[in-house]
Amino acid sequence: MPWFLYLALKQLFPTGRRFPFFTAISVTGVALGVAVLVIVTSVMGGFGYEIRRMIVQTEGEVQVKANGLMEDPSAVLGMVRASPVAAGATPFVEGPVGAVCNGRPAYPEMRGIDVGSVASVANLARFVRAGRLEDLDDDSVILSWELAQRLGAGIGAEIEVYSPLLFERLKADEIVLPRRLRVAGLFEVGHQHLDSSVAYVTLRAAQELYGLGRAVHGINVRLKPEVGDAEGAQQLQAALPQGAVARPWTHKWESFLWVLNLEKTINFFLLLFIVVIAAFSVMSSLLISVVRKTREIGLLGALGASPRDVALCFCAQAFLIGTAGTAIGVGLGFTVLHFRNQLVQGIAGALQRQDTLRQFYHFTDLPSHTLPSDLILTVVLAILISTLAGLLPAWRAARLKPVEALRSE
Amino acid sequence: MSETVLSASGVRKSYPSGDRRIEVLCGADLRVAAGESVSIRGESGSGKSTLLNLLSGLDAPDSGEIRWDGLAPSAGRRARFLGMVFQSFYLIPELDALQNVLMAGRMLGSPGAESRARARDLLERVGLGGRASHLPAQLSGGERQRVAVARALMNSPSLLLADEPTGNLDERTGEAVIDLLLGLSRETGTALVLVTHNPAHAARTGRALTLHDGLLR
Ligand SMILES: Nc1ncnc2c1ncn2[C@@H]1O[C@H](COP(=O)(O)OP(=O)(O)OP(=O)(O)O)[C@@H](O)[C@H]1O
Ligand SMILES: [Mg+2]
Repeated sequence: MPWFLYLALKQLFPTGRRFPFFTAISVTGVALGVAVLVIVTSVMGGFGYEIRRMIVQTEGEVQVKANGLMEDPSAVLGMVRASPVAAGATPFVEGPVGAVCNGRPAYPEMRGIDVGSVASVANLARFVRAGRLEDLDDDSVILSWELAQRLGAGIGAEIEVYSPLLFERLKADEIVLPRRLRVAGLFEVGHQHLDSSVAYVTLRAAQELYGLGRAVHGINVRLKPEVGDAEGAQQLQAALPQGAVARPWTHKWESFLWVLNLEKTINFFLLLFIVVIAAFSVMSSLLISVVRKTREIGLLGALGASPRDVALCFCAQAFLIGTAGTAIGVGLGFTVLHFRNQLVQGIAGALQRQDTLRQFYHFTDLPSHTLPSDLILTVVLAILISTLAGLLPAWRAARLKPVEALRSE
Repeated sequence: MSETVLSASGVRKSYPSGDRRIEVLCGADLRVAAGESVSIRGESGSGKSTLLNLLSGLDAPDSGEIRWDGLAPSAGRRARFLGMVFQSFYLIPELDALQNVLMAGRMLGSPGAESRARARDLLERVGLGGRASHLPAQLSGGERQRVAVARALMNSPSLLLADEPTGNLDERTGEAVIDLLLGLSRETGTALVLVTHNPAHAARTGRALTLHDGLLR
């Protein structure tokens, strides 16, 4: 170990001193900044990640749509399934309907799923909280949790469903009756957007409600795990006939994801200032140390140290503080993330605001997903900024003339 | 006559004082042979410390020449050529006695088992074998100066420069430090330049010089 590194360590953690006060304060500053950065980027990353998980787990990574209706789904399905990037494909019909139960109305988003093939794309059964997905037939429906609550509909309840087609027929003076569907199950994904107002029916029921015949609105595709979302969509597109387009899930959520990313970037740079401020405190405590140790710095010169090595001794201290602070900060950040739900529930519970939380943030649990790139950026920047804070003290120490330093009282 | 370790010829040094300059050294000459001990006395302010700083290469003369083993002083050679002892010890407070001695060795590279053994041996020889793990704050003034002496000898230098090493010590402790300095430098064949106010200490060196009016006599 070069002497300057040894001395840097010894000055930060002196022999026989149980608690190195200056070091602890400097390290704490950096650690707090890094912890906040890790927590915020992880939670922000968690939102993006949860959205992806929610979409992908219920709809697959890629959606194939025609220009308008897809009149011959089986042909397109065959092409999609034959593609080397696709692991599964299922047709769907989607659109708004009116629903009434116990005299209470709602206008949920209806999703017609092909019971036979849906499992190859989405593991919907996972989200079914009451009843069973297998029980879904042409005369039944599975409601999202909040929708069922709003309608006051439990398992076995009957709801009346009005489709836009019925209104068309009413205009033509036909007498039409709403379709009666029995509630076969309730599901909950854990995201407010999906749980508030969605009703799953069979593909056939949806086609009848919308008067589509054999046509569907599109095909949901599950990609093979090793295939990237955008890349998979591109490859599928090449295999599709004219008029059909394959788009990754990000397309539908583009603006949302863009805003999310922007927010994350802004947050990152604002919170990075905590680290910058911590670096200033590192700088000032090292500057004090240079003044306090003037005579020792002179002595090092008398022992044969070069100004460059003296400078490195102080840079090394800043680097060590930065590294220790970053390591502790990352540990602290992940600890807080680990207990984030207990913390949030505790705070929200104390304020009686669990529902508000859910409404505003769409998730029942606070999500967290740490992107390796975010973590690396945080670590590198925090250590870099701390080390830069050592440059001024290092320069002042290197500039001291040993003769004058030794004379100083 | 044995070879010259240190030579200074026609060394001049002045400091600005207001708009004039005070001449501290006006052509001092000195030759120190290997293993020789030389004392320098002089009134306070006569320029003894100034001279030592020039001899140690920490400061440059206005004119004149300093030679270490016939070569110009350089920072790179200092750690190996020179050991210094000061009036106020200058131990590093974060390091224990052993590590303070070893610090001189570290200037030449990471210390191995051999360096550690040497540092221990030196502490033993200055009578502090049992205090190796004590911090400077836990040592008395005399003990600190003995650690500083051990540190100055750590790299087996050719020359030892001591600037009033007993200035902060009482008479008996000072005596013990001078004993050590003279004894160890003789034992190890290290040349010694000792700046002192004490005539008795000066008398014990091989050659006693006085700095007066900027000249060494
Ligand atoms: N950096 C400096 N700037 C201005 N004057 C200086 C400087 N260093 C030394 N001097 C002056 O040079 C003269 C000699 O100083 P020096 O420290 O060499 O004396 P000294 O002989 O060691 O004295 P003492 O016995 O008190 O230690 C003094 O008058 C001092 O004021
Ligand atoms: Mg002096």
